[in-house]
Amino acid sequence: MASSKKLSPNPTELIDWMNGEGLLELDWDFPEDGDLFAAGLDSMAVMQLVVAVEDEYGVELTPEDLTKEALATPTTLAALIAGKMS
Amino acid sequence: MSGAVRRFDVAVIGGGSAGLAASITAARQGARTVLLERQGSAGGMGTAALVHSFCGLYLLRQEPGAVLANPGFCGEIERRMIEATGMGPQRFGRVDVLPQHPVEFARIADGMLAAESGLETRFHTVVTGVEREADGWRIDLADGGRMFCKALVDASGDAVVAGWLGGGFAVAPAAVLQRPAYVFGVRCGAVLDDAGRLRVSGLLVEGLRAGALPSAAMGLSFRASGRPGEVFGSVDLTGGVDGAEFDPLDPACLTALETTGRRVAHEAVRHLAERDPEWMGAYVSHWPARAGIRESRRWIGEHVLTGDEVTAGATFEDQIALATWPMEMRETARGPKLRFPVDDRPCGIPLRCLKPAGLERLWVAGRCISTDHEAQASTRVMGTCFATGEAAGREAAKVADA
Repeated sequence: MASSKKLSPNPTELIDWMNGEGLLELDWDFPEDGDLFAAGLDSMAVMQLVVAVEDEYGVELTPEDLTKEALATPTTLAALIAGKMS
Repeated sequence: MSGAVRRFDVAVIGGGSAGLAASITAARQGARTVLLERQGSAGGMGTAALVHSFCGLYLLRQEPGAVLANPGFCGEIERRMIEATGMGPQRFGRVDVLPQHPVEFARIADGMLAAESGLETRFHTVVTGVEREADGWRIDLADGGRMFCKALVDASGDAVVAGWLGGGFAVAPAAVLQRPAYVFGVRCGAVLDDAGRLRVSGLLVEGLRAGALPSAAMGLSFRASGRPGEVFGSVDLTGGVDGAEFDPLDPACLTALETTGRRVAHEAVRHLAERDPEWMGAYVSHWPARAGIRESRRWIGEHVLTGDEVTAGATFEDQIALATWPMEMRETARGPKLRFPVDDRPCGIPLRCLKPAGLERLWVAGRCISTDHEAQASTRVMGTCFATGEAAGREAAKVADA
């Protein structure tokens, strides 16, 4: 896996990546602090997100990482991933 | 009653949400009506498959408050269900949904069916074929019995009448057919608030990573039933068997769905019971009588409602109901993708969608009315099936009366 070479994502990249993975269907102008749960991030999508984050960024999100606050917006999600990568 | 010949004005094949509405409505018009259902209760997907929400009852709207799209039969069911569960409509994102309990639905349906003196309900009745006769239809039953009716309603969900007649239907390619859901009941003390649901997602992924859970567990979600200590689990399945494509009309495929659903449910609940203190002691308490099928055969009627018409919120001079549920695409087992209509407009369903092309004295209701694959993703939901069932029952009673 090419995870070691990956840089931690910024929120905008994360929006494009989530759309590309088919995790969510976010509008092109979805705000960095937009509500991901309101945009369809349900429990099934969270499972897919965790698997996809591991494949893409080499980061294992644990049950403890999955709080409503950490997954709330592209900005908080990017911070969560960055925190686990460092 | 094997061997006996019975004559009715209207016969309804299938007692799901559409057939329930059709048979009761036809009987109320004065037609001598029989409802034929293979399971031991009416309600179809809402009882046998444990689908625990009525979708499509309400208009899409920005303002708070749920407004019925099709009053009439839907209003009756809504009132009785709210009385039974104590739960009113809930808004999820942009849609209003009425939570329903399958146990209550079966009982409510019993009461409504029994209240109609002109209606005979026959559970555990399997129809094996129909034949067009001069003044109606002959219906052949698995026990060797026969019935005759002046008008027939196909509320089978699978357009079984079209199957027997050998044409007049369409089926989407296996790759895009809406995937099935396997729903089950769980006895469990967990509070499924946002935090509880996220923890469940995390624990399931851990189990998948460790190889302790089958990959189909990726399609799992849980929701509180509204009763203390009871939760519904739901697995979206890909529906294929040994690499073959999904075929909702093939018993081998359906068998694989049922067994996969049970296996995933059992292993996932055990996994959670061992790892989450709130799930301690949890167990599967309720299997469905059958997996939930979203799409199979569709009739080709005098009009085929299209996805473009649903998107535009089309209106028709002969519309008999409004479709209000967004097109809910489930072409993968990765969760729903919702396609909303322009300006949240409802779409009319013309009576011609309930009228199979070129066949007299035959009406269709429910998820197999005449639509394309995309429009069916809106019209398949139970709230809309009640409404098309009501219309089909009313029309069938007119023909029988003539």
